[in-house]
Amino acid sequence: MIARALGVGALSLLFLGGAVAASAQDTPRGVRIGLSYGAGVKPGVIVMPVEPLPGDSIRTIVQRDLDYGDRVTVIALDSAALRGLTPAAGRRFNYPLFSRLGAAAIVRITPVAGGYRAEVHDVVARKVLRSDAFALPSTRGSGDWRMEVHGMADEIERWITGVRGMSRSRVLFVRGSDVWVVDSDGANQRQLTRGALTMSPAWHPNGKLIAYSRYGAAGTRIELHDLETGARRVVRATPEGLNITPAFSPDGQQLVWATNREGGTEIVSASLANLASARRVTVGRGTDNTSPSFSPDGRRIAFMSGRAGQPEVYISDSDGTNVQLLTEFTLGGTSYRASPAWSPDGRLIAYQATAGGFQIMVLNLRDRAVKQLTSEGVNEDPSWAPDGRHLVFTSSRSGVKQLWIIDSESGRLRQLTHAAGARLADWSPYLAPTLSNDQNAANTPD
Amino acid sequence: MPPTRLTEIAPRRNVALVALSLVLAGCMATKSDVTVLQQDIMLVRAEAAQSDSARRSEIQRVIRSMQSLTDSVSAIATRLTRLRADVQGRFSAIEEDTRRLQELAGQSQSRMQELRAAVESRVPAPASGGTTAPVPGPNQLYQLGRDQLLRGSTAAARTAFEDLLARYPESDLAADAQFYIGETHAAEGNAEAADQAYARVASAYPRSPRAATATYKRAVAAEGARRTREARQLYNEVISKFPRSDEAALARDRLRDLQ
Repeated sequence: MIARALGVGALSLLFLGGAVAASAQDTPRGVRIGLSYGAGVKPGVIVMPVEPLPGDSIRTIVQRDLDYGDRVTVIALDSAALRGLTPAAGRRFNYPLFSRLGAAAIVRITPVAGGYRAEVHDVVARKVLRSDAFALPSTRGSGDWRMEVHGMADEIERWITGVRGMSRSRVLFVRGSDVWVVDSDGANQRQLTRGALTMSPAWHPNGKLIAYSRYGAAGTRIELHDLETGARRVVRATPEGLNITPAFSPDGQQLVWATNREGGTEIVSASLANLASARRVTVGRGTDNTSPSFSPDGRRIAFMSGRAGQPEVYISDSDGTNVQLLTEFTLGGTSYRASPAWSPDGRLIAYQATAGGFQIMVLNLRDRAVKQLTSEGVNEDPSWAPDGRHLVFTSSRSGVKQLWIIDSESGRLRQLTHAAGARLADWSPYLAPTLSNDQNAANTPD
Repeated sequence: MPPTRLTEIAPRRNVALVALSLVLAGCMATKSDVTVLQQDIMLVRAEAAQSDSARRSEIQRVIRSMQSLTDSVSAIATRLTRLRADVQGRFSAIEEDTRRLQELAGQSQSRMQELRAAVESRVPAPASGGTTAPVPGPNQLYQLGRDQLLRGSTAAARTAFEDLLARYPESDLAADAQFYIGETHAAEGNAEAADQAYARVASAYPRSPRAATATYKRAVAAEGARRTREARQLYNEVISKFPRSDEAALARDRLRDLQ
């Protein structure tokens, strides 16, 4: 429907920097010049102004979320001009006009009791494609309120493209020696820990619990941090010494991490129901095995291992059997591949590799084809967005380490954080709107 | 009074006899006899002194020999230690190289498998004159099964693996196909069918590396189902039959936890 025929005509009226492709000033009668939608062509979307006026911040957020999703082209038209195109109650949109503006879809958001109603109009089919009401918290601009608006934007993206957006998510990262969190659009940045060296934060699938490695008198131990209550507890199965790179299984029942054993570093696993003892997953025989990342079905893990003499990415069953070297091994080479991250759709594994400094690579598990995503600066520690398309990673391209987001399809980049020293990011799953800003502020010093 | 030792008595007795002879000779012998006697005494003393010196030098020679022997033993021990360290180092290097070669072999095998599947897909079907569809080769079927499993289509994957076993029971990929049939059942949560399929790997292809993995998976499943005795037996089976495998190392840990 929308994605089938994207008619693009020539119209310069109202166009203020949008992405409308102009053509065909002198079209002979009966002949239509336009573009057909094809693979790689993103449908144009116009988001109408949200009334009353303060609601326009909702429009801004939704437009930005759709833009960051990289699946549609947001046609940014002036609000005042668009108001003139908003039909009165009971009237229809002037679909041909919107079609000429390059829109395949119109998004209209109107206030209702307790929230807003979102409508998506199919410009080609000239009808409402889908509509639904979304409850919003009364505290405009709060973290929960923003998350709900993001959730609405994600649904709108799903209605238009068939794929849910990823904006209702957050990114954990380390800055200095503390764990921080930021919304996927870069807003609402907050500090979660204070006063001790913390590393490798990781999300539990429920989005309410995180784990990280915390340095103390007994070395580095894994700590669990409840984001709702702020309560923290040390994983008893982490003995003195080294305990790093924790990760949760997709069902949330297992915690895996790397710990020092038998002269090397092995990945071990413990049930969240019994964190007193851990079982070995890897058999590294004195080598370093770290950075586990689960496949979406939880049956396999990807990890970094030096068992072949140099760090490479391996995959194995989550019980430690069936180990396979994943990355291309070069005998006598000096390659370094590390920090694997399994994509949420299970098809891809992202990792960092030496290629003129560390760069982000993506390997397709089907044919093992490798795609290099970055080439500027040093780029490390990739983590997938819940849409399985975007990656957050640490990059020095701006001169200092910052978090950046890349669209693995198009290579489009945006900077997520702007304060120096951000690193070790982990992107959350889709979040339920239960996270309270006040509860998660770093107000519990050690 | 402590008893006098015989070794001390002998030279004293000689001197006493000479002195007695001298006394008696003083009574009866001439001056020249006394001189001879004195010379004899001196001779006896000289012989005694010579005897002591010879003994001393003999002892010193023995001590020197023993020191030399000790040095030799010490040198041999040092050499042995070095040799042992050298052998151990070389053995570790060989192990390391073997491990790397295994990694490479595994990866090459995977690539070869993909290549074979690609070649098979390009081989034209034999002209049968009818409308029979071309028969896929074992590599194609295996690759198809792996692809389906990767995308979560477990039933389709199992069909491909079963087809492979039915058409090419002697194929090099038969053990792998049987193992992945177990994997498809396990992915579906059908523990009983998975156990049977894994057991078949160990019984039909006991020399395949998949046998160790399949037996270990059976043990883990048994442990998860609280069939501890069975789990213990299967872990022990992994350790005894495949002692150098990764699965054996994991099984040892699990057995320790089960104690």
